[in-house]
Formats: sequence, C-alpha cells, structure tokens
Amino acid sequence: MSRRIRRSGRLSFSGWVAMLILTALCALILLPIVFTFLYSFFPKGEIESYLSQRGSYDAEKWLDVLYSPAVFSLRQYYKIFIEDPTYLRLFCNSAMYAGAILLGQGIIVPLTAYALSRFTFRGRDLIFFCILVLMILPFQVTMAPSVMMLRWMGLMDSVWAVILPMCFSPFYIFLLRQFMVSLPSELLEAGMVDGVGAVRGYIHVILPVCKPIIGAAAALSFADCWNMVEQPLVYLANRPNLRPLSVMFNQISTEGADVAFAGSALYILPTLLIYLYFQEDIVAGIQLSELK
Amino acid sequence: MFHRKKIVWLLLLPGLAGLIAFYVAPLIGGVYFSLMDGTFANNFVGLANYERVSQNPMFQLGLKNTWELSLLCAPAIWLLAFVLAAMLKMLKQRSVPFRNVLLLPYLMPTSAMLLIWTLMFDYGGVINRLVVQLGYERVLWLEEAALRVPIVLMYIWKNVGFSVVLFASALEAVHPSLYEYASLEGAGWWRQAFRITLPQILPTAFLVFVLAWVNAFKIFKEAYFIGGDYPTPQIYTLQHFMNNKFAKLEYQDVTAAAYLFAIGVMVLFALMYMSKAVRSPNT
Repeated sequence: MSRRIRRSGRLSFSGWVAMLILTALCALILLPIVFTFLYSFFPKGEIESYLSQRGSYDAEKWLDVLYSPAVFSLRQYYKIFIEDPTYLRLFCNSAMYAGAILLGQGIIVPLTAYALSRFTFRGRDLIFFCILVLMILPFQVTMAPSVMMLRWMGLMDSVWAVILPMCFSPFYIFLLRQFMVSLPSELLEAGMVDGVGAVRGYIHVILPVCKPIIGAAAALSFADCWNMVEQPLVYLANRPNLRPLSVMFNQISTEGADVAFAGSALYILPTLLIYLYFQEDIVAGIQLSELK
Repeated sequence: MFHRKKIVWLLLLPGLAGLIAFYVAPLIGGVYFSLMDGTFANNFVGLANYERVSQNPMFQLGLKNTWELSLLCAPAIWLLAFVLAAMLKMLKQRSVPFRNVLLLPYLMPTSAMLLIWTLMFDYGGVINRLVVQLGYERVLWLEEAALRVPIVLMYIWKNVGFSVVLFASALEAVHPSLYEYASLEGAGWWRQAFRITLPQILPTAFLVFVLAWVNAFKIFKEAYFIGGDYPTPQIYTLQHFMNNKFAKLEYQDVTAAAYLFAIGVMVLFALMYMSKAVRSPNT
C-alpha cells in the first residue's frame, strides 16, 4: 500500500537534523512505556515506599528517578497470576469483551462493507451517508438514546449492552468499504463470467484480497476495546464485577501499589504484541480513513 | 460490480438491522423522548427539557470545557503532526521506523499509562525538575487549572501519531516532478513549500484538523482517570455531566444535553463534508 518514492538514499544536512530531532522525540515517546515495564520488576517494598513519596508539597524534596531495582523481583507477577485473582478476573473480562466484539465485527463489518461497495442499488449512497454521520457522532451524543433502547430491550447491566452496539461500529464499516471500493472491478467480473454468484464472490474473491485491511481493522478495533471506558461505565453502572480492566484498573492499582506497575505492564502487553505484528497494516488502514 | 441484485438486501440485512436498532432508531426515538416530561403520565412539554438543561450551570461548564479542551488538543495535534510529517519526509525511506514509533502510543490503553504519568507530573517529579532547570518555580500540576496540562499532553502523546500518518501519506503523494520542475525554474525552499506543498495537501490538512477536533471529545478518558467522577471544575467535561445525571436517573436531561451538543458536532460534520468537495477537483 505504501506509495513511498524511492530516491537516492543520501540525506541532506537538514535531513540529519530532522533525524536527530526525531530520534530524541521517539525516545521521549517511548520512555513512559519503558519505565512502566522497568518498574514492574521492582520489589514490593521498594515500589511502595517510592509511590508513597508522591504528592508531597515539600519544596525541598524531589522524587528520585529509579533506574534499577535493588532486587530484581517477579513476586508481584506471581501475586497477579496465582495469589490474588482480582486482576486476572478483570483481565479476562477485558479479553472476553474484545473477543466477542471482534467476532461480531468479523461477521457483520466485511459483509456490510461488501454490500455497500460492490453492488449498485437504490439507496446505497443514502446508507453510506448515514454511516458517515454515525461515525462522526461522539459517544456523548449516541449514549443517551442508546441507553433508552438497551433499557427497552432489557439489555442494560448485561454484557450484551457493551458488546452488541460495538459489533456494528460504523467506523470499521467505513474503513473496509473504502478499501473494497478501491479494488479493481475486473476482480469480480472475471468470476461473474464463470457464473460465480455474489456469495461465492465474497468468500472466494473479496475476503482473501481484504486480508491485510481486515487485520488492520481488527488491530485498531482491539486497541479500542482494550481501552474502552465510557461504554462499560454507563451500560454496566450497577454491575462492577462485569466491568473490564480498562475501567477498574485505576481502582485496583490504588488499593495494591505493589502490583500497580506489573498490572500496567501486563495490560499493555497484548496491544504491544498486536502492534508489533500489524504495524504496517495499521498504517495502511489509517491512510484509508481519509475521505475519498 | 453487481447491478440490481436482490441478494444485496440479504447481505445488508444483519448490518443494517444492527445499525438501525442500536444507532438510528435510538437517535430518532430520543428526539421524541426529549420532548416528554418522563413522568408516569408522560406529558408533552415541548422544549422545556432543553431550556432547563441549557440553564444548568454544570451543563454549561461541561459543554464549555469539552469545547475548550478539544480546541486545545486539535490545533496542537494538527501543527505537531504537520511538522513531524515534514521531518519524516526529509528522511525519505528511513522514516518508516520513526513513523511507526510515533504511532505506538495510539494503541496504548489510557489507564495503564496513568500511573507513570502522574509520577512524571508529581510535585517532585521529572517535569518539575525540568521546570526548575529552566529557571521557573515548581508547579502543582495535579491540581486545579494546571491539571489540564498533563491531561492535554497525555491526549497529544497518545493521538498525534494518527494525524502524522495521514499527513505523511499526503506529503508522499505530492509528485516529486513538481519539485524538480520548480527547482529548475529557480523556486527556493519557501516558495516550493507555499506554492506546491501547501496547495497539494490542503484538503488532507483540513480533514486532519476536523478529525482531530471530533476525536478530541474523547478526552473524557484522561480526565476521568485523573479526576474521577467529580473532578475540579476546569476538567469537568460534558461526559461527566451526563454520567452523573444518569446516576440520578434524570434521563430527560441527558437526552436533551446530548442533542444540544449534537448541534455543534453537526456543524463540524458539515465542515468535514466540505473538505470532500474541496478535494474532488484534484482526484
């Protein structure tokens, strides 16, 4: 997908200056993530006393920047995995939501995008326009009406209130539609001559071609689900035990300071792995979100 | 391309049904709901709910802060993304790893980054060390109005990469022969920047700004994690107002507030749609 223009690889002087600035900036951007992982290996006593120094108004005192632990400790990870199931249960909640939403989107989103991009029918442009409007509307606007609906359906305070609306997320329909529109029309026409119908064309022609963009959408959507706050906060107002880690993490990290950083690191890890695997696809996917 | 095939409605059915059930129908039904008084008799009250909500000082505060915070974030992200994308272009094919690192925070969950962020902005933290190094007094970043700084910075840290990617691809799409021709004609760097680069990427620049603006309404996440349900007035957003009204079961107010906010968002949408019109002569 990248339309990079390959010219001579030599950099000008200003190119080297830009490289220097960008290197420094990238290091700065990575620092919070690196330090979260580093602090996750600090033993309980050290990290607790460190965190307890926060919030002092003493103008004489500074909070030291710690670079290496006195003892390299894995005890807090042991606590998370074995001793105290609180964190792990919330982590599983998060994974359950992400899994269910991705599964739902995987069925709905490509199919709808296919219908909106490879067919001509009356009302298509109107439907696409509505999807654009819905995509732009912030959660603050859609929240109140959809709570009414979910209440009427009897889904409030159940996991379905969080999962079902997200399965029809307009943004991902838009994203995949943008990709499918750009596919050459010969792709399906060759098959049509041989009598391949709409359904087989979808399964055997369109889906395989769309693999990279589906990967990108899945990665972006996973990051979205992993970080969702507003939806569970409102839709699960009376069911704290059903909430995902994204909402509850703040609370458990203030209760147990020793596992706070280990919890953060563990929480970041899935998105980090997904990012490492899909980074090029994600970039290509974001480039598609330009309205063309 | 399939023409007028009936099967398309079958393919559309699940997606359309969901979109209508969870998005379109509630939005339309909500209008009716917002015009009722919500009692057992459910009387028609016209715009009374809208009047009451728009006079609510907390609603006014939330609305004002939501717009203000988004207007702090969007221009900052826009400008920073443009500068970074321009620098990436200078690096030519070596820019890929840098661009990818800039995008990494976009996928990081907000709540996991909160702890390290509050440590950085602590009264004795690294940010204040920097402030003192530069010759200023220490600042209480995590209180009152100063709290906006860590929140906005965290938002920028997380979201700037998205805009960089859009800008970078627009800059790459500018045909190199345009520059070569301009150099031959004797146009300098500034002339090239203002006469070639700027007009070529103007539609994208416009879109990036509007997208950054609309997305910045999501800054509630950062504000909620640092400030909780009832934060200091300077970071009390519309979402806080709505969540608290929900907790008090005052649904009519929440719905009316949502539609009042939607009016402003729709203006933004019109702007974005205009950017499509700006673009079409080019493509």
